[in-house]
Amino acid sequence: MTPLVLVVEDSDAIRAAFTILLEESGYAVAAAATGAEAVRLAAEQVPDLVLLDLGLPDLPGLEVARRLKAAAPIPIVALTGRDDPADREALLAAGCAAYLVKPVDTQQLIHSIPGYIAAG
Amino acid sequence: MPDLRLTIHGGHEAEARLREVLAREGFRIVEGPRPAEEGVLVVEPDGTGHAHGHSARETARRIEELERTVLELRNLDVAKSQFLTNVSHELRTPLTAIVTYGEILRDGMLGEVTPRQREAIESMIGSCRQLLAMIEEILTYARTNAQAIGLQPSAFALEEVIRSVYDMNASLIERKSLEFGSSLPPGLPRVHADRDKVAHVLGNLIGNAIDFTPDGGQVRVVARRSPVQEGWIEVGVEDTGIGIDPQHHDLIFQEFAQVDASRARIHHGTGLGLAIAKQFVRLHGGRIWVESGLGEGSRFYFTLPGEDASAARSPAHTGAAERPAA
Repeated sequence: MTPLVLVVEDSDAIRAAFTILLEESGYAVAAAATGAEAVRLAAEQVPDLVLLDLGLPDLPGLEVARRLKAAAPIPIVALTGRDDPADREALLAAGCAAYLVKPVDTQQLIHSIPGYIAAG
Repeated sequence: MPDLRLTIHGGHEAEARLREVLAREGFRIVEGPRPAEEGVLVVEPDGTGHAHGHSARETARRIEELERTVLELRNLDVAKSQFLTNVSHELRTPLTAIVTYGEILRDGMLGEVTPRQREAIESMIGSCRQLLAMIEEILTYARTNAQAIGLQPSAFALEEVIRSVYDMNASLIERKSLEFGSSLPPGLPRVHADRDKVAHVLGNLIGNAIDFTPDGGQVRVVARRSPVQEGWIEVGVEDTGIGIDPQHHDLIFQEFAQVDASRARIHHGTGLGLAIAKQFVRLHGGRIWVESGLGEGSRFYFTLPGEDASAARSPAHTGAAERPAA
């Protein structure tokens, strides 16, 4: 079965780019633009992986990560626009599989996804 | 009359304005207490506690006015930094989309690409990443300026930092056929400093040296015990590049300074690199300076506390030395 990746990103352009990237790499994609929508979709569809942008308009990234983890034991990769050591620590402590600074190297990301899914 | 302790985070502009107000109002500026605290002025009313012979009430009023001015400058500075942070974020989002789409195209996900198309896409991605790095630099500067950022000092050997900065620039050094070397005397003590910030300073100086040195030139990192400050280490980055006219030596450490606009166009940069380097060195209580002339290469030096001096390393807390107000 095709693994499902939930892309949580408020920028339309970046969300669309990730959708193409993942679909062309053989994944099914669900997308959300807000934290609340992400939590709802995660509970409904139980994706195999969440790519979570930390700069969402409605909720702080850490809060979204916690709610996602509470909804289902899904591996989460946190994506940030700005590297912040304190944030990194908090998100990894909250159970995120990785903390990556955008723009991520797409080849490397695609290469790492099976590992994230397997570990989750 | 108690001293007033004023902290200014507005950079040169704010400090100059405040000094002006202080002088007009008859205050004396007690400098210090340490060079690391750039932006902190300790102020007291002139003479016997009465500024220019004014009554105590008048002096109190003036202090109040002064405090208002300081608050105003502080708010202005917070607003400026907030603005920079917002702008950086807004710039980064579309750039991230461009880079991501670029990589999708480059990797042939939307159809076969020819070698020349691939080259063009690579160049677009590279330019975007360069822009992102510049935005990061602006953000670093805004953050450094907006709050007293803390140091996380540890003892480490300079060699390893030089090595990591070299590794980051290796491909550029090779492309320009530059001769890169470092010369550290045996037995040089480790430094006691914030490793990331030292790496940032060295990265900036070495990056500039590479940028401003024509192909085939030399870039050298040197270090020695400071001949003038016991227990301190002096680090230098020397190049055989185009050099800097002595009349610009002060200017280049100021924010947004580029010696001339044409140079700025040829050599990318925000004009913040050396201002950030200076802030980072000053945070350690060190100094940074340049020795150069047009056409004779540049030699940048800065000082850091050595490991064996770390106990006595803050000249900081020895109290204020008085100097007449500037």
